[in-house]
Amino acid sequence: MMLSRSTFSRNAPRALQKQCSAAGASSRRGMASAATPGLQYDVTESAGVKVANREVAGPTGTLALVAKAGSRYQPVPGFSDALEQFAFKSTLKRSALRINREVELLGGEVSSTHSRENIVLQAKFLSGDLPYFAELLAEVASQTKFAAHELSEVVLKTIKFRQQALAANPEAVAVDAAHAVAFHRGLGESITPSTTVSLEKYLSAEALAEYAQQAFAKSNIALVGSGSNSADVAKWVGDFFKEAPTGSQLQNTASKYYGGEQRLSSKAGNAVVIAFPGSGAFGTAAYKPEASVLAALLGGESTIKWTPGFSLLAQATQGFSQVRASTQNLSYSDAGLFTIALSGKADQITSAGKNAVDALKKVAAGEVASEEIKKAVAVAKFRALESAQSLETGLEATGSALINGSKPYQIGEVAQSIDAVTEAQVKEVANAFLSGKASVATVGDLFQLPYGEDLGLTV
Amino acid sequence: MSAPSLANYIVKRPWLKRWMMPIAQWYTDASGYRRLGLRADDLIPEENDVVQKALKRLPPKEAYDRIFRIRRAFQCSISHTLLPPAEQTKPSEDVEYLSPIIREIEKENKEREDLDALVVRR
Repeated sequence: MMLSRSTFSRNAPRALQKQCSAAGASSRRGMASAATPGLQYDVTESAGVKVANREVAGPTGTLALVAKAGSRYQPVPGFSDALEQFAFKSTLKRSALRINREVELLGGEVSSTHSRENIVLQAKFLSGDLPYFAELLAEVASQTKFAAHELSEVVLKTIKFRQQALAANPEAVAVDAAHAVAFHRGLGESITPSTTVSLEKYLSAEALAEYAQQAFAKSNIALVGSGSNSADVAKWVGDFFKEAPTGSQLQNTASKYYGGEQRLSSKAGNAVVIAFPGSGAFGTAAYKPEASVLAALLGGESTIKWTPGFSLLAQATQGFSQVRASTQNLSYSDAGLFTIALSGKADQITSAGKNAVDALKKVAAGEVASEEIKKAVAVAKFRALESAQSLETGLEATGSALINGSKPYQIGEVAQSIDAVTEAQVKEVANAFLSGKASVATVGDLFQLPYGEDLGLTV
Repeated sequence: MSAPSLANYIVKRPWLKRWMMPIAQWYTDASGYRRLGLRADDLIPEENDVVQKALKRLPPKEAYDRIFRIRRAFQCSISHTLLPPAEQTKPSEDVEYLSPIIREIEKENKEREDLDALVVRR
């Protein structure tokens, strides 16, 4: 079908108006309404384990175990990496090989990941196989053997490869360093220990087994499902998680923002990460929707093809073909980090970095057109809703919210809170960033890369 | 590598075990390795993949002690001497330290072979 130009141009401004009006969310019948079937999670508790499930009709299902045991909570470096790698290894009942072959025969997929706050063990399967995978997750959580030879033969080797992969990615190193200067301990722990950390000193199978008892304690985990029947999920989880260890949650001191500067020499490439205290996850005290709008406004990466897009950083770095800029608001359960990452050629990063800080100053001075902010609100809303809807990010966010006792992701409310962000709020948050202490992490050719002060920031 | 043995047959029958134990103890003692300070598991031929893997899985202290015992026995053998009685292996010290790991690896290999030869009927 061909759309005539006039139809399109007549509707476009109207679409924008509808998207951005603050009252729009209530007056409009849309996917964001609270009663949306399939996207809302049913929250229950069975056998002392918190369970959330959404019934999306389809032939496959997903079940994920979210444990509050990411790198933030680990007692010594490398524990959450090792625990993640030990998932689906030999248990007291069956060997790793058998688990592997059984999953292959059933046609499922199991994986494990960890973030700064959580370890996620995830299983995707054909709908009929829910009981098998619920049992498998329970077995992995409570009966993993933690054999010493698996640690040295498999787990340690994989972690070492991951350390090297991290060292080869200057932007990831810079983001880690920015977290370290921003939060020191806790959230500041690097997500995978750097190559210079001697893991053998810290990792032992016995200590890991002990840590797993706490990490997978009933109060420290949540199960999040998608695609299966809620009653079934609650029933099978209740059946199999009866023997899960009981205990208290892993404790950690509340995050506090410090700020500062760190410079690391590296041959892998160049990256500068400028970070400010951002918005926490939805439903927590640190939630500031205006920070995510500012992240969309500064942007840097285009959402459409063949054009730099409207975002301020994309405009500011247009002349620098060998620099990649992106802005993100990384949100955690009690804090957030707003990061502007620049990576590429060292000399271009220096000038692009100055432009980026100037762009932020422009926002703080209120010199940004209101249409731009409206566009940013739409992008921020899209990103928030899309991450809630997509499986990978949505499962972890929901599980994390359940464990931390905050509100689970309510799509309608998220949309409303972002819609309600005003120009003044965005200006205010940019001002707060510039007046407070920034965290600057620089990785690469330090001779050429700028100091935070050179970029015009207070560090 | 475990050699074929009647041990299981005998252990299952208490009367037979009671009868055989003194003979077994005399035989083990007479074989002489204890006088060189060795343990029975030190005599397992190590020139194959399974035992090599098992040796890698030994805890560091056990691996060190094993090499020490073997070198000491080697010296005794060269000099045609026996260890002084205080240093000889006592029957209570002559325990399995490698065989359980070998059995575990053999079980793993067997499981892999079984799973590889699996026929799925649906």
